[in-house]
Amino acid sequence: MSEGAQPPTPKQIFTDLSVRLTGFDRAELAGTGMIDTYYDTLLRIIGEREAGQLFRYAAEALADDRRVGSGDAALEQKVIENPRFAAVVVSLIKLWYLGSWYPLAGDYRDDNGSTADDVEHVVSAQGYREGLVWTAAGAHPMGAKPPGFGSWAEPPTLIS
Amino acid sequence: MSDTPDTPDTPDTPDTPDTPDTPGIPELPDGTTVDGQSPDYDIVFVGGGIATATVAKTVVEKAAAQTPPVYPRILILEAGRATAMSADKYDTYVEAYQEAPIKVPNSPYPASRSAPQPDVLDIAEVPSDKGYFVQKGPMPFGSDYARSLGGTTLHWLGTCLRMLPNDFQMRTKYGRGVDWPLEYTDLKPYYERAEWDIIGVSANVEHQYYPIKNVEKYFESADEKKMRKGRYLFPMEEIPSSYLDDYMAKLCADLTVELKDDDNKTHTFPVRVTNTPVARNSTPTKPDYQVVGAVGNADRGTRCEGNSSCIPICPAQAKYNALKTLYDLIVKYPDRPLKKGEKPRAVVTVRSQSVVMSVEHTQEKGKKGTVTGLTYKTYYEDGTPAVPHTVTAGTYVLAANAIENATLLLASEAANNSGQVGRNLMDHPLLLTWGLLEDNAGAYRGPGSTSGIAAFRDGEFRKERTAFRVEIGNWGWNFPENAPYDTVHDLVGGGTDGQARMWGKELRDTLGAILPRQFRIAWELEQDPEATNRVTVDDRYRDRLGKNRPVIQYDLSDYVKSALPWAAEASRQLFAALGIANPVRRPVYEPGDYTHYDADDAAAVEHDGVTYWVRGAGHVVGTHRMGDDPWNSVVDTHQRSHDLPNLYVVGCGSMPTLGTSNPTLTMTALAIRTGDHIAENLSRKADQK
Ligand SMILES: Cc1cc2nc3c(=O)[nH]c(=O)nc-3n(C[C@H](O)[C@H](O)[C@H](O)COP(=O)(O)OP(=O)(O)OC[C@H]3O[C@@H](n4cnc5c(N)ncnc54)[C@H](O)[C@@H]3O)c2cc1C
Ligand code: SF4
Repeated sequence: MSEGAQPPTPKQIFTDLSVRLTGFDRAELAGTGMIDTYYDTLLRIIGEREAGQLFRYAAEALADDRRVGSGDAALEQKVIENPRFAAVVVSLIKLWYLGSWYPLAGDYRDDNGSTADDVEHVVSAQGYREGLVWTAAGAHPMGAKPPGFGSWAEPPTLIS
Repeated sequence: MSDTPDTPDTPDTPDTPDTPDTPGIPELPDGTTVDGQSPDYDIVFVGGGIATATVAKTVVEKAAAQTPPVYPRILILEAGRATAMSADKYDTYVEAYQEAPIKVPNSPYPASRSAPQPDVLDIAEVPSDKGYFVQKGPMPFGSDYARSLGGTTLHWLGTCLRMLPNDFQMRTKYGRGVDWPLEYTDLKPYYERAEWDIIGVSANVEHQYYPIKNVEKYFESADEKKMRKGRYLFPMEEIPSSYLDDYMAKLCADLTVELKDDDNKTHTFPVRVTNTPVARNSTPTKPDYQVVGAVGNADRGTRCEGNSSCIPICPAQAKYNALKTLYDLIVKYPDRPLKKGEKPRAVVTVRSQSVVMSVEHTQEKGKKGTVTGLTYKTYYEDGTPAVPHTVTAGTYVLAANAIENATLLLASEAANNSGQVGRNLMDHPLLLTWGLLEDNAGAYRGPGSTSGIAAFRDGEFRKERTAFRVEIGNWGWNFPENAPYDTVHDLVGGGTDGQARMWGKELRDTLGAILPRQFRIAWELEQDPEATNRVTVDDRYRDRLGKNRPVIQYDLSDYVKSALPWAAEASRQLFAALGIANPVRRPVYEPGDYTHYDADDAAAVEHDGVTYWVRGAGHVVGTHRMGDDPWNSVVDTHQRSHDLPNLYVVGCGSMPTLGTSNPTLTMTALAIRTGDHIAENLSRKADQK
């Protein structure tokens, strides 16, 4: 971070972290309209204290990786492989891709306790519709965002 | 769970056969009930699904067009809610589907405790009474249905194939099952009306390839005026085949599947990918065809827009559902007194949350009788207790679907001199096979299926094993592997070590490389009618209102099972032609054949030492079979009870055999024929007044 710049807010860190974890850019994630919801979901489920820690580590790692210029080395080491956050990262990626929260791994819950919301659930109908998996597949969510009559006969968009 | 005493397979021969072979006008030609009172209605229907919608519409229109015209008063009793009748409420079903953690056919349609419905999530090791069905086995019956106004067409796929001529003559041609009392040619004009007047089917005759000599002749219409030179046109152009269908068609262009029978004789099946006729809106073939859009929102759903969720819900209602026909009826024939100057018309009343409990009648065992009324309970779900009612009519139509019709008749000890009520339960057992293609074929787009392969639908081999149809699925591995969910879980991982295996760009690109290459095929086996596959009732199993729950015994005959190795072998040859012969298993993802069947699955079937899984197709057929002989069939060719002449039992339950086509189109054709017949009888009654 350059001298004098405002430190990023937790939600900005959450968004930057989500960009790296999902492979979708900031505009794509914002376009889903789900950033606020998922941010709140995460805070609710792992608690603000633990989320604060995650964001602290993530901010450092993101800054480190930015300094180096490429790669995810710091993020991998400090967050993804860090036993303290690994399970949260897994659930967060799935949340973005599938619109559902999947419970944290058992080991994580043993160490950190668990909240009542940490059960499998579809976060919202919009979350389902905005699941990144459909875009990744070059498709659209089943039962939403219809691509139009006969579109299925056309060559798929992901064909290069 | 203990067993109920079984009734013998061969029914008792009644002492005094009551000239049941002389069908005629109802025994009470003036429409009065036995005690001389005027009935509450001319016709009462049980169930608000496509069977009722079709009969009711046909009766109303036909009766009004007759001389003298007749305007029946009709009541439709529906067990479920009527929520989906308005467009905004229908949208809440769509929302419920999107929010459902597991997206099965019934997930958008909330069950009521007063009108419970079967759910595929309740399928478990038998015996089991986990869900609404009491499953006695040896196999679980794998299909469900919806109990809401609109019925199961709310979540059907909409495939609308006619049966093949030989399907009606299984006994004569192949020595299996039974013959129908009707032939294909008898039903053909009704198929046309079902396709045009009720469902609205999209297809082009020139792209239909069936294992029969002359497909054009098979479709040829007697209506030379409407169809130039009898050349049949479906009301709407075909729904385009998917990119995946075309991809397969190219790779299989020269494929002939060869299968050996028990005598080592080779049977050959030229594989041709065939566009499937469906109940989804497309472009009319004639300018005067009126496409029917969403209920209460006619501008929506006039063309399939590719929502890719026909099962369990079409958000646009571009797919036919019975609400469309019912809505049309209640708008045109409202339940209110005629206004001054208004032309006489029929009156159609729909009463939802009204569960029919029993059929009241005068029948004694072995004799004929009359239906004298229906008892039903209306429930409110606000804590108010359900209210019991009785209703009377000149004519009664049971159309609550095959399993419910049988349950009601058995609980009422009605219409069962033949002992066949509840028996011959059939479905299309599905053998799924699935693979990962070499190339991106654009999966997860378009309707559930747009094409199939018809080569195995008929042939001499049916003497030894049942026929099957091949349905190519467009929704990747959604059905067999709960993809794309499980694909994401496989790649991201987690598990006990709790660490993400893949994330970021790599995850996005890998999903993009895998998901569009997934495909599955359903090999839909014909099932033969067996007396031991049956629905019964047992007073120990009732729902909250006290209605009997269906108790089901179900298995596959050796005749069906013998088709399993053929379907599996045909799949292997097909996959080889697609270049994916090598077996692979998740979580590895590379081109190959992912088909596998584990023995511990609730739907596992063993045959010749090999394990298969067999899923249900939702095709609930055969519990009140039609026939000319009242001692081995329940209804006649008009679906009229042999025993209770003022009772019609309508639906897929009347089908004596089911061939390889999905049953609803055939059932609709039969229902139109029934509607015509009831209208004629109403006129005759009016004449005699
Ligand atoms: C997942 C799935 C996919 C399918 N796909 C296809 C397909 O592609 N092609 C095809 O041809 N068929 C398909 N089918 C089958 C098709 O949906 C049925 O054949 C058809 O809907 C049956 O119509 P019905 O009117 O006889 O019964 P239903 O549609 O089941 O309607 C019966 C009605 O009666 C009501 N009812 C029940 N009990 C009572 C009672 N006691 N009192 C009052 N009302 C009662 C119910 O609530 C319901 O509204 C599919 C089925 C399923 C489950
Ligand atoms: S593909 Fe979509 S629009 Fe078309 S019928 Fe199916 S759900 Fe409806």
